[in-house]
Amino acid sequence: MRQYFGRKLLVYGLTFFVAVTINWMIPRFMPGDPVASMLARARVSQPEAVEAMRLYYTNLFGFDQPVWKQYLNFWAALLQGDFGISVWVFPTPVSTVIMGAVPYTLGLMIPAVLLSYFVGNRLGAFAARRKVLDNTVLPVGYVLTAMPYMWLAVILAWGLGVVAGLFPVAGGYSFAMRPNWSPQFVGDLLLHWFLPFSSLFLVALGGWAIGMRNMIIYELESDYSNYLAALGAPQRLIRRYAFRNAILPQITGLALQLGVLVAGALVTEIVFSYPGLGSLILKAIQNQDLFLLQGTFLFIVLGVLIANFVIDVVYVVVDPRTRTGMAGASA
Amino acid sequence: MRNRARFLVPLLAAGMVAAGCTSGGPAPAGQGATASAPAGGQAADPNSLPRNETLYTSGTQWGPPANFNPIREWDSATGTKGLAYETLFHYDPNAAKLVPWLAESGTWVDDKTYEVRLRQGVTWSDKQPLTAKDVVYTFELGKMKTIPYANLWDWLTSVEAVDDRTVKFSFSKANYQQWDFNLYSRSIVPQHIWNGRSEEDVLNGVNENPVGTGSYTYMSHDQDRVVWKKRDDWWGKAALNMDPKPRYIVDIVNSSNEVAMGLLLQKGLDMSNNFLPGAANLVKGNFGISTYYPEPPYMLSANTAWLVPNTTKKPMDDAEFRKALAYSVDTKKIVEGVYGNLVKAADPTGLLPQWDAYIDKTVTAEHGFSFDTAKAKKLLADAGYRDRDGDGLVENKDGSKINLKLIVPSGWTDWMEAIRVIAASAKESGINITPDFPDFNALVETRGSGKFDLVINNERQLSNTPWTYFDYVFQLPIRKTQNTVNFGRYENKEAWDLVQKLDQVKADDAEGMKAVTSQIEKIQLQEMPIIPLWYNGLWSQVSGTVWKNWPSSAAGTPKAAPAMWRNWLELGGFETVAQLQPVTP
Amino acid sequence: MTVLDTALPPSPPTVRREALYFALRNGKLLVGLGVITVFLATGLLGPMLVAASPNDYVGLPMQPPSSEHWFGTNTFGQDIFVQFVHGLRTTFAVGVLGGGLAAIIGMVVGFVAGYRGGLVDEVLNMLTNIILVIPTLAVLLIINAYLGIRSVGVQALFIGLTSWPWAARAIRAQTFSLRSREFVDLARLSGARAWKIIVREIAPNMSSYLFMTFILLFGGSILIASSLDFIGLGPTEGVSLGLMLQNAHQWSALHLGLWWWFIPPGAGITAVVGALYVANVGLDEVFNPKLRET
Repeated sequence: MRQYFGRKLLVYGLTFFVAVTINWMIPRFMPGDPVASMLARARVSQPEAVEAMRLYYTNLFGFDQPVWKQYLNFWAALLQGDFGISVWVFPTPVSTVIMGAVPYTLGLMIPAVLLSYFVGNRLGAFAARRKVLDNTVLPVGYVLTAMPYMWLAVILAWGLGVVAGLFPVAGGYSFAMRPNWSPQFVGDLLLHWFLPFSSLFLVALGGWAIGMRNMIIYELESDYSNYLAALGAPQRLIRRYAFRNAILPQITGLALQLGVLVAGALVTEIVFSYPGLGSLILKAIQNQDLFLLQGTFLFIVLGVLIANFVIDVVYVVVDPRTRTGMAGASA
Repeated sequence: MRNRARFLVPLLAAGMVAAGCTSGGPAPAGQGATASAPAGGQAADPNSLPRNETLYTSGTQWGPPANFNPIREWDSATGTKGLAYETLFHYDPNAAKLVPWLAESGTWVDDKTYEVRLRQGVTWSDKQPLTAKDVVYTFELGKMKTIPYANLWDWLTSVEAVDDRTVKFSFSKANYQQWDFNLYSRSIVPQHIWNGRSEEDVLNGVNENPVGTGSYTYMSHDQDRVVWKKRDDWWGKAALNMDPKPRYIVDIVNSSNEVAMGLLLQKGLDMSNNFLPGAANLVKGNFGISTYYPEPPYMLSANTAWLVPNTTKKPMDDAEFRKALAYSVDTKKIVEGVYGNLVKAADPTGLLPQWDAYIDKTVTAEHGFSFDTAKAKKLLADAGYRDRDGDGLVENKDGSKINLKLIVPSGWTDWMEAIRVIAASAKESGINITPDFPDFNALVETRGSGKFDLVINNERQLSNTPWTYFDYVFQLPIRKTQNTVNFGRYENKEAWDLVQKLDQVKADDAEGMKAVTSQIEKIQLQEMPIIPLWYNGLWSQVSGTVWKNWPSSAAGTPKAAPAMWRNWLELGGFETVAQLQPVTP
Repeated sequence: MTVLDTALPPSPPTVRREALYFALRNGKLLVGLGVITVFLATGLLGPMLVAASPNDYVGLPMQPPSSEHWFGTNTFGQDIFVQFVHGLRTTFAVGVLGGGLAAIIGMVVGFVAGYRGGLVDEVLNMLTNIILVIPTLAVLLIINAYLGIRSVGVQALFIGLTSWPWAARAIRAQTFSLRSREFVDLARLSGARAWKIIVREIAPNMSSYLFMTFILLFGGSILIASSLDFIGLGPTEGVSLGLMLQNAHQWSALHLGLWWWFIPPGAGITAVVGALYVANVGLDEVFNPKLRET
């Protein structure tokens, strides 16, 4: 088991290294110059002033140092939690900006992922090989899982927000309020949370339901199920065994789907201008704020790595075989 | 795992119930009415503002409020200048004159000396009185080279406090037009607080808890908003007879124009200074939304969008080619198709309607241009640009192909759409233009360094004088990077001399100004260094649900410019706010 | 969540005819393929049949669907149906190119890793795992934002380059199980080269599996491309369904009530991707007798 985790951690470590390096490299090949854009925004035309500001910003961002040193500095700063300074909200540190957005993204993603996972798996397992249910769950599941996240979000915003007027279609909370823990504010928060959550939840739900339904059918057709059936075991018991076996690949599936779910959360946030990482990324792109974009990217990678690790741990806990030293080559 | 699922499902259900309970629309702000704070007190509940006392605006800030530093005119929080800090004068574009603000009066005592008399009884929000020393300190900040108005000191020699309320400015060269612009553009800062700040601090400081002379003080800010609170002891109540009714002003950071439209429709926003595509439909439909004009162009004009040719490159170095280009652009299609009549086609001079008096109609009648494909073709043929290979597109005089790239920043959707129209209509005339959408950064770099072919720009706003526009078109010398003016690198000594001459005409000498502008316009239209396309609107969509008496073209309403944009609060934005009336008192 | 995680029994040639028999009787497969064919035909033939170019201003702005403009017009007076058929073409192109490239990379990596084993496997497996863990969209965001992706081809290229890992892993596992079969041993004994064994012996024995992998990658590419387009990192030239959605969203179609602007592109994507998935399940049932409805 130590070997199993050692291997996993090595992969994650390497992944992080690669991500950081990509992150550092790409901006250096980018057209345009962030300092030039800052100066343009400052609308200053006197040459001395421009020079002074250019020097100042170049210094600040470290563009005047040799490349290898920039790379080392990048790592050194990173390890201290310093992602640089945002150009968009100059001079706020990127880490502060990200931290302000993270709670919203997590607040959307964690419930949406967990709930869709549990409900979807239950639904799929229940529907498998049950004619009527199967015929409804399957098509609905396929439509949901094939939907682009943002489209469902747009439809919900239009139907429930604009037409029916039940929910606000933008923002994390009402502009008349400031974050606090009064019931009024929490209610407002939930009201704004509901639509983005629903669209994330629904799309993911379809995928899990179908996946589980297919897995259960595999299991129900496998030899042990047939054997159990031949022995005269009750259907309920067979299904329970099937479910236990089917849940394992679904856990791996969760790890595989994390990237897609993150992507879904990002575009959903954009539709609803939900103040999470997705909206932040959009702003960073629109304002060519490379530090913010890099910081957000690294943060997402880090988050996904941690989530993957948690899933690994869960897998080991759930699957007795991995506990006894299976090297996890295919997990 | 199963247990956890059971735990989470009720949680979701609870969430839905909670959501259902308050689903009557935007949060019931009325319940916060307990927040009617005692005068001048800080006791207002900042967590929930009463809707009927709060003005919600949007359309200025595109990022979280970064600072409250009035020196950073380009990215300080909305209202830093205008609500918190004030200027010596305001400018009224309708009457075309300066309106005394912190100054009681200002006069040229001789050709090169200007004296400002300050009002009595103006106090900072920390109760200290405003004195001449504050004004001197403010203008002397410009001696730091990184301050936006540092170039003032090229022709300003000294600023002295004659007494507590009198400031004397002495000039080496009196640029009257530019000076007036400075009078209403520079925020006066308190010396007793700012004294001793380093250059770094003055330019880049966040300036939390700004202390200004204005009618509002800072209350709070978040990533997505800044909140200002009315100051009950504001000097202007007596001196100007103005008493803004909104107790709170919340300026919301734009996330996108469509979000702004959503907020406006859900009555969460009172004034949106965003470009809202389809705003005409909102005005015509029954949405309770109105604009300055009830019919096209719906908005006042705020600035001119120009097509800037790079005059250092072939064939744009040829005035005849530039003229042909001007004739080839179907501006009407942009105005109607892209903007749905929210903008107006520009005058051939590009001067805003507010400067109509300075447009010499005889000059424009003789030299002006309009969309005319046949004329464009003829101009090209006469100048020697012919289609030699029969592809319907003209070649350079030496026979080489012409392929011009017209750039606007990626993501600026209305402009992206507009340059597609320009490219298509130029092709009709035989000019090969390809629209291209580089990232903003890349665009700024190519624009500044003069590597582009054609670019659209509209950075100059309405001001007190057409001089600012001509300065934008003709400014010399050309520098290594052109950051704010003359992107096309057009060099014409004669024109630039005239522009400088205009600067030195006194602001009240309209005839003298016209004489010069007429000469400049003639050169401009003959040379066509830059092609005016359309007037961008002063985007302003207002909702009459909570506040009324918005400026409009109708009789009996204020005529101020309804905008919270940077530098517009002095041009009518503040007057708009000050004249609002609550719908339910 | 993909059905591919479970091993398939290699199918001997006699099964093929049987597969065709079941394919023609499999409702899911037929419905899926039918929908895809209809949309593909619309995307291929539509642009030739409608005269206007997608960005022409052809009518009054903001008109609801009518006999003249089947899907209505948008804010500028562009015909949405014309944009839709052109967009479909782009969408299929991104799917085929992106999905195809990912499938090829996935196969090469999967086969080599699975067949060779040992150090090669270790290295490739490590590479696969690394790219698998990095969230694809985030990488694409960074790449696109900086390098400025401005054509459909390049967009497909980047999607292909980043979405192959799970396919590689699945194919590797399959190859692994086939590697030690008798017929492979036989080929190896007869002195055939490694790539020949892979192409001649291993790949044909999992052809159905490979095809299904391609279908899933195809659908995935379409979804990723539409997300990129929506965020504003799509191609600037031409139309795609994702760009139509982005435009509709940016120009406030939601609040102006122009439902005919944002419903068709999303419905198009959903229909195509959904049909691909359904067809995939159908194929699975055809090739795997155990899954057929009893």
